[in-house]
Amino acid sequence: MISVLSESCRLLRTKCRRLFRRREQEKALELELQFHLDELVAQYRAEGMSEGEARLAARREFGAEAAAYREEIRDTWRPPQLAELWRSLRFAARSLGRSPGFTLLAVVTLGLGIGANTAMFSVMNSVMLKPLPYPENAELDRLDRATPQNLHGRVSPADFIDLQQQAQSYGEIAAYSVQSASLSQPGQPAEMVNAIRVTSNFLTTLRVQTQLGRDFLPKEALPGNDRVVIISRRCWQQRFGGRSDAIGRTIRVEGEPHEIIGVLPEAFNDWRHLGSYDLFRPLALDPEQSTDRRSTFLRLIGRRIRSISQVEANSFIANFGARLATDFPEVNAGSSWRAVPLNSTVVQKDGRSFLAMLIGLSGFVLFIACSNLANLLLARTMARAREFAVRSAIGASPLQLLRPLIAESILLALAGGVCSVMVTQWVTGWLTSRSISPNGERVVFLLDWHVFSWAFAASLVTALAFGLAPGLFALRLDVNESLKSGARGMTGGRGHQRFRHGLIVGQFALAMILLTGAALYIRGLNELTNTRGGWQSEHLVSGTVMLPNAVYNEPEKVNAFHRLALEKLGALPGVAGVSISSFTPFFNWSDVRKYLVEGRELPQAGHEPAAVVNSVTPGYFDTYATRLVAGRAFNQGDTLVSPKVFIISQAMALSLFGTENPIGRRLAQTGAGKPNWGEIVGVAADIKSVMPDPGPVTAQLYQPMAQEPRLSNEIALRTNGVTPASLAPVIRKVMTELDPDLPLRELQAAEVTIEHAGYQSRIVSDILASFALLGLGLASLGMYGVIARTMAQRTGEFAIRFALGARVQDITRIVLSSGVRLAVIGSALGVFGSIGISRVLAAQSPAMHFNSPLVLSVTALLLMAIALLASWLPARRAGLINPINALRAE
Amino acid sequence: MEKVRNDLLQGTLDLLILQSLSATELHGWDIAKRIAIVSNDRLSLKQGSLYPALHRLEGRGWIEAEWGVSDAGRSAKFYRITRRGRRELEAEKAHWLSFASAVTSVLKME
Repeated sequence: MISVLSESCRLLRTKCRRLFRRREQEKALELELQFHLDELVAQYRAEGMSEGEARLAARREFGAEAAAYREEIRDTWRPPQLAELWRSLRFAARSLGRSPGFTLLAVVTLGLGIGANTAMFSVMNSVMLKPLPYPENAELDRLDRATPQNLHGRVSPADFIDLQQQAQSYGEIAAYSVQSASLSQPGQPAEMVNAIRVTSNFLTTLRVQTQLGRDFLPKEALPGNDRVVIISRRCWQQRFGGRSDAIGRTIRVEGEPHEIIGVLPEAFNDWRHLGSYDLFRPLALDPEQSTDRRSTFLRLIGRRIRSISQVEANSFIANFGARLATDFPEVNAGSSWRAVPLNSTVVQKDGRSFLAMLIGLSGFVLFIACSNLANLLLARTMARAREFAVRSAIGASPLQLLRPLIAESILLALAGGVCSVMVTQWVTGWLTSRSISPNGERVVFLLDWHVFSWAFAASLVTALAFGLAPGLFALRLDVNESLKSGARGMTGGRGHQRFRHGLIVGQFALAMILLTGAALYIRGLNELTNTRGGWQSEHLVSGTVMLPNAVYNEPEKVNAFHRLALEKLGALPGVAGVSISSFTPFFNWSDVRKYLVEGRELPQAGHEPAAVVNSVTPGYFDTYATRLVAGRAFNQGDTLVSPKVFIISQAMALSLFGTENPIGRRLAQTGAGKPNWGEIVGVAADIKSVMPDPGPVTAQLYQPMAQEPRLSNEIALRTNGVTPASLAPVIRKVMTELDPDLPLRELQAAEVTIEHAGYQSRIVSDILASFALLGLGLASLGMYGVIARTMAQRTGEFAIRFALGARVQDITRIVLSSGVRLAVIGSALGVFGSIGISRVLAAQSPAMHFNSPLVLSVTALLLMAIALLASWLPARRAGLINPINALRAE
Repeated sequence: MEKVRNDLLQGTLDLLILQSLSATELHGWDIAKRIAIVSNDRLSLKQGSLYPALHRLEGRGWIEAEWGVSDAGRSAKFYRITRRGRRELEAEKAHWLSFASAVTSVLKME
């Protein structure tokens, strides 16, 4: 095989030339042979035959063998081994063409199996294997400040400035902070866009150059100078028509005029990193912020200098973090810093194991597909047992016997590979269409040469491996026996019977795993997204609004806006309740804070009890229907000047106070100076988000919006029987009247928002479901094929049984039981695998419940039913056996 | 005169073709004719059977071909022996003759 390959490589050039010459060569050959024929005719004429006789005689002499000679001559044009291979392939193509049904089934089976596998590979390829779109990206690190609450924590401005000043031996460090912003052009309503503030060295650190315009200048990182923006290419095309005069234009961002100074290149739009951001503004830190070590809102990217390794870089960053922890223990105790290669952060660890799981499961589908193919090929080989026996009897070597089988496998592999690429293209297209983000950014799955080589290699390996298995049985054929056993072909010895049954058992085991995996995941996901843990989303319409910092720069201004908005929205017809909060209960709250309990000993720094915090207006609990278990809700009396109050969740109350009454106890946020105590006035029911991963902190704490006004606002309205979505236009109108620079994002029925947020999990569940269906379909097809073959082989036996007085039911029972036995063994084996997969799933989605016993029994029953059906269809034919005819045919 | 059996010994056809071409260039028909005539019709090739051999020899570079005009004025493919072919012919001829004489002397052994 290798020598054939090297030979063909060497001859490739000549071969190419020959390809072009081929037609000429053919013509010349035709002329040459025609010349010979004409000479022959002329000779016969000279011997006295008439023209017609002479032609006839010449044809008799020369015509019949000319075709064979032609083939022989063509072979001399090819290098000898290629000629051999070519003959085998041509023979294989003819023999496959003679059984189109088999060929179609084999190609489609291979195509589906390999296609599923290749599609998953292409996902992994575009997500994990492709490097980020930055030059020399291997030098880039993400710098994390890990805290017990958040392993990928953010950094405070003062810490960042310290690091930047001390980092000469590390390299360059840039920071960014993500915050949505409103964008409006003259005469158009404001829109919310994904925005990000970056340090002026951000683009140079990434080595990204603007496609148009210029980068930020260092002086633009000063407050007051920072009204310039760089936009993404996507934003440039969508909003500015891709015109170069967009540079220098003035747009309003958060209500203030900003000048567009640059457009980023298209390659920057990579969904895996910062490609979904449209608006880049300078990160201008005022003197107060520059010394702030408490508010951690920056993310850091570093580019190492070439002379240090990643390990050295990491220890440098870790040392810096350790210094911070000793120098500023009140804010940094318990935190640790590290540098993680940026390329490796593209997919989190759980994402990676999820992808690995999907690839593994697609491998199961592929295995099922391949064992079908092996069964088909085996049946085909056995039907040709006589041919093999004859060839072996006249002295064919094992290689010569196998060659036609190998050639058929190669052809099937090629066709299956082409089919699988089409399947892959379709699947990735579907995945892309399912994963469009709100600003039109889409996940792109590249079908590059990696993917093509994967598909090609997968099809070749599978087709050869599964094509050769039956071939080995052909080698073991007993020449004598197969020649004696008459024209009916082989009945199949014990060896292949076991092999075939082994494949069916394997198929059912894998199908069981696929089916339970999918069923468990779908059930878990349904339960997760349909369970409203401590809140309700029916009759709710919700939306997000971001108050610009520049305008709402004092707490009182924010409070005034909130009061006005609540009043106007509450007065709308059909509205039963209004709430403004910093988070909705639908999703996880990202604001983690640590608290001290009054009257208790101070815990070790860094180990204070933590809670996720939500600032809410008084209407929050009514609007979301979150039950208060004890105490009171917030009210109009809780203001900036009144005593601080909190409501805590049941879980938090239990962990802090056990059976004691929490009402009246006081908490304070950790931090420098005198604790600012606040009284617990109520206990709310625990709430649970619809996210698969709830995050490490389960304690929940509410504070009045008025006492700590927040700029990021989730607005929710409970309707009074009106369809929630119908309120959206009215709400938008009210908000625009309040402030035209305030765009509402995702203003829609809460159910829709929740549904959108779960799209990734739903893609996964769809993929799992299609794997399961595909696996199940292929497995039942395999079962059907094997039982049908058994039926055909045992016709004689059944005829004898009939002749001896067996009834149709008896025969049917024999056939059915042989099928069901295989299914039972397969499913029994599959149970172990299913338990394994439920463990894997549970590890990946901690918030989901995978209640396996029920699902396991239902899927096992389903498999039995399918096995019964697949064996009943062929078994039905048992009744049609006519003993007399069947025995006569013997 | 008795005809020898039609299936020539392996490799003999190549030798016959090379020998026929050693003096002049010929097309396929004439090669077959010449072999028949020179062997007194004892070696008559099956019609067309020498074409695969001609193409094989051409592929090995022992003979080369050119289109020319036949005696009857028709365009035909003429073969000519190459330098390598001639070397091969000499070697094979020597081998064959010595082989044949060895076999002959054994067969004439009383």
